[in-house]
Parts: sequence; structure tokens; C-alpha cells
Amino acid sequence: MRILIVEDEAELQRQLRDKLKSGGFVVDTAEDGEEGLYYGREYDYEAAVVDLGLPKLGGIDLIRRLREDDRRFPILILTARGHWQDKVEGLEAGADDYLTKPFQMEELLARINALVRRAAGYASPVMSSGPIALDTAKKELRLNDDPVELTAYEYRVLEYLMLNPGRVVSKAELTDHLYEQDFERDSNVIEVFVGRLRKKLDPHNPIRTVRGQGYRFTEEYAGEGGG
Amino acid sequence: MRAGIQARLLLTTTLVLGTSLTLAGLVLDRSVRLSTLSGAEEQLRLVIYSLMGAVETADARLGVPDPLPEPRLRQAESGLYAWITGADGSLRWRSPSVVTGDVGPPAMAGSLEPGEFRFLDEPDAQNGLLRLAYAVIWEDAGDRSGESVLTFHVAADWTPFRATIQSFRRNLYVGIALVTALFVVAQVLAVRWGLRPLRTMAQEVREMEEGRRQRLSEAYPVELTGLAQNLDRFVAHEERSRSRYRKAMEDLAHSLKTPLAVIRNALERVPEDPRTLLTEQLDRMQSTVTHQLSRASVTGPVIVGRPVDVGGLVDRLLRALTIAYRDRPIDVEVDLPQPCRVRGDERDIMEILGNLLENAFKYTRSRVRIGGAVDGGLTLTVEDDGPGIPAEVRRAVLDRGTRADEVQQGQGIGLSVVAELVELYHGALRIEESGLGGARLVLTLPVARQTS
Repeated sequence: MRILIVEDEAELQRQLRDKLKSGGFVVDTAEDGEEGLYYGREYDYEAAVVDLGLPKLGGIDLIRRLREDDRRFPILILTARGHWQDKVEGLEAGADDYLTKPFQMEELLARINALVRRAAGYASPVMSSGPIALDTAKKELRLNDDPVELTAYEYRVLEYLMLNPGRVVSKAELTDHLYEQDFERDSNVIEVFVGRLRKKLDPHNPIRTVRGQGYRFTEEYAGEGGG
Repeated sequence: MRAGIQARLLLTTTLVLGTSLTLAGLVLDRSVRLSTLSGAEEQLRLVIYSLMGAVETADARLGVPDPLPEPRLRQAESGLYAWITGADGSLRWRSPSVVTGDVGPPAMAGSLEPGEFRFLDEPDAQNGLLRLAYAVIWEDAGDRSGESVLTFHVAADWTPFRATIQSFRRNLYVGIALVTALFVVAQVLAVRWGLRPLRTMAQEVREMEEGRRQRLSEAYPVELTGLAQNLDRFVAHEERSRSRYRKAMEDLAHSLKTPLAVIRNALERVPEDPRTLLTEQLDRMQSTVTHQLSRASVTGPVIVGRPVDVGGLVDRLLRALTIAYRDRPIDVEVDLPQPCRVRGDERDIMEILGNLLENAFKYTRSRVRIGGAVDGGLTLTVEDDGPGIPAEVRRAVLDRGTRADEVQQGQGIGLSVVAELVELYHGALRIEESGLGGARLVLTLPVARQTS
């Protein structure tokens, strides 16, 4: 999952990046509102963390402009002042949640996970589909209540697909959301991950291949999808 | 209450005017009386002269033949009487108008020197007569000596003179009363006209208080221009320093909280041993900074500003909170009176309401109820069906200033801030049990002040 952090305080930005990376996110960082706007328009994200007190373009204006451009990913605002005026304006501009500085990193991670999940239409931290239950808090997969070991990348592929149920996700898109920007894109790696995932989910196969386009997570588990 | 300017001016003028007009009246009254008296004396003197011209002596008898020089002397009880007495005081003649013996020449006449007039300028108490006497050496006095001193007495009834004086007096006092009334009316009008700019100013200041006006108008008379300008400057200054102070507080908040966040996050990598201690201390710092800064950035009741629409703020906050708490289906009931306003700084009121509502959203299971009543002050209740706040910790929850680090994190630092804000606004915050099962927070705020 790809996430955008817009925070001008270098150290805090670094800490946020480290924490979110360890939480399984692919992280882009921006230091001011204008850079944030550029990233937000240019790339597709699962979520964004926006500090309200940004240079060049304020956090609230940034959010407003992103929403005007029809960028719909969930946004968490960080506010140092903690005034309700700020929180309300931020939420009215299109943010989805707020945190007041200083905050606990665990809290931030939990909130972001909840936002991402919520945006995909799941009500609880466990995304479940038939026999498949993916616990986004514990980063665990259970198949008919039995735990299944996944590597970090396998987990991310499944999570991303489950966050976009029924939609065709191209290999390029998956790559974008799994790796840092400068990673050399090799679609074979994705195919390997999907192949391993399918084995681990056997006999259920919710991941269908749409030839020439990509993959689709489906809730029909009968039968075998194409190779 | 002190007497108003209008009352003071009116009282002063009325007193001064009343006193001076009364004095003028008294002087006038006195001089009219004096001039009436001297007119009467003159009349009587003429009567004496004409009598002296008409007196004849025959057979040692003194007489005044008809026709008498003054017709009223012949007519009985006419009000004009004359006597002539000899040197020994004996009555030598009296006018026919003297009918009864009880009107006679006064005894004092005997002491007159020849050629001397004596006027009694007070009417005789017994019969209300003005008297004039004149002594003269008469050659042919009709007695043996051949030459004697005769005294001519004349008396006139005071009544017609008194009537003149009284009618004058009546006119005088009616006149004075009219003039006084006219002056008072003119004074009232002048005072009202003169004080109108002050009333206008009061009205404009009221409009400024209610936020319907930015500054005073320019059209003030020269005496008030300075005051109006100072007032404008004061208001502008108050606003500027308020926003400067707030800005400083926000900068401070930002520059303290971001490093705190950084330190806290860095602590995660520190080994267990110092970490616990450091985290504890950091918690205290964070709690103090958060608490003190939210408290310091409060403006408190403002002199100038639009009354804050509480209903509108509650709606906005609820919309925002519904977004942030989208995960949990919370049933919110709002029942607020219309209009629902308090005087204050909108951001302060928003802090109070935001913290109260967030507290309810945070702890509720599924229901939040917001009610209100306007009754002398504004009472706002926020209820939820959460676990509630046990009676024994209620005080601690609200009273955080003294024990900033002792109450559990999450147990609403918001509520203690609310309690302090509310106190600044001369209101109160109570924690009770709700019929819904959870906490019921009762906020009372003084309602937008009625300016009279």
C-alpha cells in the first residue's frame, strides 16, 4: 500500500516514514504543501498523512485542492495546535480523521489502517471474504480460522487486492503500491507472488487473472481461474 | 444610580431660573408698592393744597364753602376724608364725607412743625386709611389771636390702591410662571439636542458589541471626536493584541509539540531501562504543555463581537465528528432551542463544544443526546450511553490544573480544559449520570448579555 506523508519537520517526517514502512506501507514524503499537491495529483495512494501547518501551501488548502481534483484516498490530518477550528476546517475540506501532536505512533498506524480499510468498505480491522480473513492489525491471514504464514510481500499483494475487491488491478499498479518509486519494475516478480499466494489459499482461489490487464479479487471461490 | 446628565442640567437651570425670577418678582413687587404709595401721597397733597385754597373764615368760624374742591369730600363714606385742626388740636372743620365719629384726625398731627408734611405710608390698621398731614401758619384763623397754626389732615381709603397692587402682582406672577415654564421646556429640548450625539454613540457602541458595526461613525461634534477616536483605537488595539497573543501561543504550541512528538517516537528505540522513566517524564511535559497552552490561548469573554451561534457550531462539529467516527454507527439526537446564542469568542466556544462532543463520541456505545434550554443562561446537556464517569473521579476529571499528570490519559484532558474555559466565561460544568446509561455533562453559560 502506498502512502503519502506531507510534513515539514524533517525528524518527524523521518520517524513517520520509518514507522509506516515497518507497518507495511510504501511511503512517499513531501516537505511542503506544493510538493504534497504534486505527489497527490501524480500518484495513486491508499492514504495520506497531512500536517496542517505546512509552508507554501497550507494543509487545509492542500486537502481542498486534492479533493477538487477528485483524489479520494483517505487523509489523516496532524495538528500541533489541536484547535477544534483546525480540526473542523480540515474535516470540512475533505480530511477523514485527525490526530493532535504529540501523538503515539501506534495510534497513528492504527488510525491509518482503519482509514484504508474503511475506504475499501470493511467495517472491522479484519477484512474477511468467505473463508479468507486478513487481520490488518496483526498482519495475519486466516483460512477457515487456521493461520497461514505469509511473507511481507505476499501479505501486501493480498491486502491490496482485498482493498480493491471486484476491480481489475494491473501488475503495474500492484508494483506501484508495493515498492518504492525507484524500484525496477519487473512484472515477473508480481506473478511469482500471486502464484505463491494462490498455493497458500488453495483450494480457494479468489484471485482471478484477467488476461492482458491484471488481477481481480473475487468472492466466487469455485473453480480455477486462468494461469 | 447617579443622576443623569439631563437631570443634572435641568435641575440646575430650574433652580437658578426659579431663584432669579422670584428675586426679580420681589423687587418689582416692592417698587410697584412704593410707587403706588408715592402716587397716593401726591394725590393727598393735591387735596390739601386745594383745601388750603378754598378755606374761608367768617365769624371766627373756619369753613370750606361749596363747591368743595374735591367732590368725594362731600359724599358720605366716599373714601376721601379731610379735617382741619387748630394749634390746640381742636377740630376746626371736617369734610362732609366724614360721617361717623370713629374716623378722626390722628393725634400725632399735633407735633408737626409749621410747613412740615407727614405721610403715614402704612395704612391705618384700624380702618385702612392712608394719611397725610400738613401744618401751616394761618393769618386769619378765626380765633382771637389772629394768627394761628392750622393742621390740614387728609385720609384716603387704601383699598383701591391695594387692588391696583394686587392686580399688578397677579400679572407679575403669572408672567414669571409662564417665562419659567418656557425656559424649562427650551432647556429640555436643548439638553436633548445637546446629548443626542452621546445617545448615538451609545447606540453605535452597542452595535459594535453585537458585531454589527466595525467602528464608530465620523459624524460627532468636536467635543466627542476625541472620545470616539480613542474608543475606536481601543477596540482595534484590543483586537490586534488578542490576535497577536493567539498567534504567539500557536507558534509556541507548534514549536513545543512537534519536538515532543519527535522525542516520543525516538524513545521507542531506547532500551527499556531509561525508557520507562523518560516516557513518564515526557507524558508529564506533554500533558502540561497541552493543558497550559489550550488554557492560555483562550480569549475569554470579549467586549466586542457577534453573539456566537451555539446551534450552528454544534451542527458543524457534529458533521465533522461524524466523519471522524464514521466507523461506529452513532445515533445522535439534537434538541436545541432557537436561537441559541452566547456572547464570547467563537473559537473559545468551539473548543468548549468540541471537547464536550468529542468526549461523548469517544465513550459512547451507540447514542449521543444533545439538549439545551435558554433560561436566564444557556444550559447545554451532552449525554451518552457509554460507561459514564464514576462519582469519585468526577472532581479529578474536571480539576486538572493542580494535578496535571495524575489523571489517566484519555480520561478527557478535554473535560478539564472545558471546565476552565467555562469558568472564564462565568459558567459551570457538571458531571451527572445520564438516563441513557453513560455520562451526562451539563454546561451552563451566561446568555448573550442584554444591552439596555
